[in-house]
Amino acid sequence: MERRKSFLGNTGPSTGTTIKGLQLFIADLRASQHSQDQEKRIQSEIFKVKQYFNSSSGKKSKDKLDGYQRKKYILKLAYIYITSNTSKLDDIIFALRETLELTRANTFSEKFTGYMTLSLLFQHKQVSEELDADIMNQLIIDLSANNENYLALALNFIGTCGSVTPEFGLNEDLVTHVFQVLRSPTSTQYLKKKAALAFLTLIKGNPTILTDNAQRKQIWIQRILSLLDDKNNYRLTLTVLPLVRYIADKLNPSYCKRLIPQLAEILYNSVVVGTSPGSNFPTEYKFANMPNPWLILKIVSLLNSLIISPRESSFDQIAASGSQFIHINEIDSETLGKLRMCVMQAIDLASRKSIDMMERLVQNTILFSLINFASKLDPSEDAIVNAVNILCSLLESSEINVRYLTLDSLVKLCSFSGKTAVDTVCKDNLDSIFYLLNTERDPSIVKKVIDLLFTFTNVDNIKTIVENLLKFLGNSKNFATSDIKSDLLVKLAVFTERYATDSNWFVETTLKLLSLSDIASLKDEEVWHRLCQIVVNNPELRIFACEKLVDYLQENQTSEPILKSAAFIIGEYGDLISEKVTIPKLFNLFTDKYFASSNLTKAMILTTMMQLYKFQPEISSHVIKFFQIELNSLDIELQRRSFEYLKLIQVVNLSANINLLNLLFAPQPPFNSKSNPLLKRLAHLPSTSNSNNNASASSLNLNSRTLSAAEKEASVTPTIQSSRQSHSSSALSVESIKALDSYYVQQKLVSNWREGFSRMIHYKQGILFISPLMKIIYRINDVGLSQLSIVLTYINQTEWDITGLSTEIIPSRTQDNPEYIISKSEVPSSSTIAPHKRVGQTVEVVIRKPYSIEESPIININFRCGGSSNSMNLKLGLGVTATMKKNSESPGTSLQQFVTRWKTLRDALDKDGEYHLMSLKISEEHKKTDSSILVFKTLERMGFEMVEKESISNTLFATGVIHTKTDGNFGCLIKIQYLEENGTVSITGRTTTPGPLAKYIVDCIRHALVK
Amino acid sequence: MAIRFILCFNKQGVVRLVRWYQPLQDGKNTAETIAQIYRLISSRDHKHQSNFVQLSDVTKLVYKRYAGLYFVFGVDLNDDEPIYLSHIHLFVEVLDSFFGNVCELDIVFSFYKAYMVMDEMFLGGEIQEISKDVLLEKLSSLDRLE
Repeated sequence: MERRKSFLGNTGPSTGTTIKGLQLFIADLRASQHSQDQEKRIQSEIFKVKQYFNSSSGKKSKDKLDGYQRKKYILKLAYIYITSNTSKLDDIIFALRETLELTRANTFSEKFTGYMTLSLLFQHKQVSEELDADIMNQLIIDLSANNENYLALALNFIGTCGSVTPEFGLNEDLVTHVFQVLRSPTSTQYLKKKAALAFLTLIKGNPTILTDNAQRKQIWIQRILSLLDDKNNYRLTLTVLPLVRYIADKLNPSYCKRLIPQLAEILYNSVVVGTSPGSNFPTEYKFANMPNPWLILKIVSLLNSLIISPRESSFDQIAASGSQFIHINEIDSETLGKLRMCVMQAIDLASRKSIDMMERLVQNTILFSLINFASKLDPSEDAIVNAVNILCSLLESSEINVRYLTLDSLVKLCSFSGKTAVDTVCKDNLDSIFYLLNTERDPSIVKKVIDLLFTFTNVDNIKTIVENLLKFLGNSKNFATSDIKSDLLVKLAVFTERYATDSNWFVETTLKLLSLSDIASLKDEEVWHRLCQIVVNNPELRIFACEKLVDYLQENQTSEPILKSAAFIIGEYGDLISEKVTIPKLFNLFTDKYFASSNLTKAMILTTMMQLYKFQPEISSHVIKFFQIELNSLDIELQRRSFEYLKLIQVVNLSANINLLNLLFAPQPPFNSKSNPLLKRLAHLPSTSNSNNNASASSLNLNSRTLSAAEKEASVTPTIQSSRQSHSSSALSVESIKALDSYYVQQKLVSNWREGFSRMIHYKQGILFISPLMKIIYRINDVGLSQLSIVLTYINQTEWDITGLSTEIIPSRTQDNPEYIISKSEVPSSSTIAPHKRVGQTVEVVIRKPYSIEESPIININFRCGGSSNSMNLKLGLGVTATMKKNSESPGTSLQQFVTRWKTLRDALDKDGEYHLMSLKISEEHKKTDSSILVFKTLERMGFEMVEKESISNTLFATGVIHTKTDGNFGCLIKIQYLEENGTVSITGRTTTPGPLAKYIVDCIRHALVK
Repeated sequence: MAIRFILCFNKQGVVRLVRWYQPLQDGKNTAETIAQIYRLISSRDHKHQSNFVQLSDVTKLVYKRYAGLYFVFGVDLNDDEPIYLSHIHLFVEVLDSFFGNVCELDIVFSFYKAYMVMDEMFLGGEIQEISKDVLLEKLSSLDRLE
């Protein structure tokens, strides 16, 4: 036999029985030198096993394969499957039935082999789908057996595979049997532990087990919670805690409120009493000399999710969600005292330097989890400073794992404990963090360092941090992976914009970023798009940007994004620097770079050349020469563009009239981008603790949603800039840039979502979605002024059962003071819908602040039908206008009153709070009269009060009141004009508040009118 | 907050033990996932790098090498990773006591017994029992059964 290389160097007894045939087969395989020989050996073995199974199945039962043989063959196949790294499933799948047969055996080792092998294969869909019914039958038989070991095998199988398919959780019999083992006073503790985790696995596969039946829900949850009370070394407690955690997280934390003193007591007994000298905590439940670290960690993490810190509770969302979480002041002082003692003890323990590495690791594990929990306990400033200092001292640890974990812990502490923690880290420790950034050789650690730095970036330190990170990126020997680098670039771009106080610095830094982007393989275009938008919107930056770009163009190497930015910005504003750098010089700079760049960039440069020609028509001969060369370009688009531009120059020269040129290359109008598109990709940005100084520091501004103009410029067709929709909301306003949840942004909507979305904006009930499988109808009810309930009904359109129906409502933002919150979300009343039957679900939404209709909640619906799994995402049409209430008793507004109010608002707010949308094409078919009726009806359905008037025939006036919970109520006035000639309407909205609300309302109308 | 999978392979990347507690994301293929994990871990430097590395948007890996075998736990991204090093260590200690000075060959030839140990210690992605005495007593009685 080979040299035995043991893991730990201990010696002990070797146990148990062996299976000779299996051992020989494995030894044989290991003896084969070449993989071809091995493969041959495997295939011949498989052939042999097949023959055995086939010959035995034909014969009468008396000479059927005996159990031992069957076990041996199945184990050989299992070995083949495992050591093929699971790739040989297809070769062994013929033996499924024989494996299932083994689970029916009456000897433990055979039954064990059957269940063990199936539990490996069950992960694959083709196995679980074929066997789930048979295996469930067998599981129920073994669960009812009197044999503890058989019962244990069945529970093991459920605990391993119970969430692979929801079928397990849907099987009432199975679920009841498992729960019976868990709750029965006669079950042994050994089985109860397994049953707890098997039950958890079942609920994960089918969450409705605990929610479907209200009475059962109460009783079962009570039973589960009572199991925590285990005096026998907390053995059962350890396995029930994950189940309790599930109830707290997924059902309702308030169920667990009463457990807090009990949990604190267990924690105190372990952390404080258990570690004190002479404690009688049983040694066998210690690990690395610490009392049950698993128990401690699970309790701390449960408490962490139950208790809400004073900081978090200052957001009023808690009040809205019915205060299910536990406030610190709801906890009695004795319990609180115990919890705080635990934190102190953990700090104390970690300061004793233990020699054993595992012991130190476990101590630190407990320290980190308790320090992060401490921020929930309303710590004093001193305590936070103390905690930060302890952690920062661990940054110098010689152990890599400890440094990694310390950084992780600091990220959490800074995110939760806010300013005090951040200030303490920044005051003395920035340098050592930068040192780690440059010296660590593990990408995992580098990533944590970067996360930490961004956690406390603010106006004061942005320059230092960005400078250091740029230096890091520029260093070719850094240890970041390409993912980390491109992530870092995006974050740098966003933070540079967010916290910049000096706009020239912003331009300079962004250009430096772009110049590095080749190293970091930044695939996306949005960083330079964003720069261009900002330069367009801020005239004072233009000269500076052009000059800086010229510097980059003069270097030997110029990155593509820099070239693209230069092509765009110098094309627009090159004339501003013509005194320093002449237009011919600029032209030459671009010709130098042209041939080394990509076709997309080349196309942009061709346009830039035309713009340079516009600035100074005298360079025409050079431009013509250049375009003539490019007529021979291999790229057809470049050829075409050169040809068109050549023709254009000819026309201009012939007519001696540059009007056409000026029209085609009119200056770029300001962009209207409200949010930075880069934010979408900030997937794992640690929640920032300095949200209050978010955008306020930024002197840069942008107002609309899309990048369309910049993208058009980048696309290969020459753009003719049409007059864009004028935008009256002030170009000076600084809108706060807030990220949508990446989870929300990532949802892909079904292709025809717009129809239901649009309908929902103006009809209180109707069809949200329809497909051959399912129809979904909705009804919106008012619950309060700013609170709505949405009743969704799912109708099975097929002849088969729809099973596994589950839904999730995804709000656009859940943190940092969101605009609206889902205050209640029931699960569908049943996860199964019989053919042509229906199932309902109610969701409640509280609208706290104005928001864009684009950010309406998304609903994700999953179900199975006829063997296929379906998942789809729909956006609900739930905008601010949904909070308007019709008041049938109000006398209505006269035109006179409307005009007076309009004027008052204009005098008070000027253009703030106004939004104007021009030339909206409603529909081809609608004639003038029809479209006026259509618009009238739509507005009325949305809840607007229509102003009665007789005189002005082509204009509609409407008023409404928007209700929000946090920001209060706002009045709005709407004026809609329709133009007979082209069947379009223009909409103007005015609100009693400045800001984007007017746009939000007009957008709702737009979406309601145009699908 | 749970173990998504347990994986054990040798330096050549041959799997010795594999256990999934949750279906793979987006119906990913198990063999490809294993290959990806092996590439990621075998490329890491043991002197200068930690025992933690992110695998995907939802999973990170906590791993440790004992002699020629890697023990890898895939856990939720927002989980506390250090405790899983204790899971691994305890698992190895129990294997060691059960087999008596365990080495890779024990797990090769008696892979089914290693699964028996695993299923007594972990279930549903959670730890089930931590007392070595309790575990070894149960395991040896199960091992003796026919």
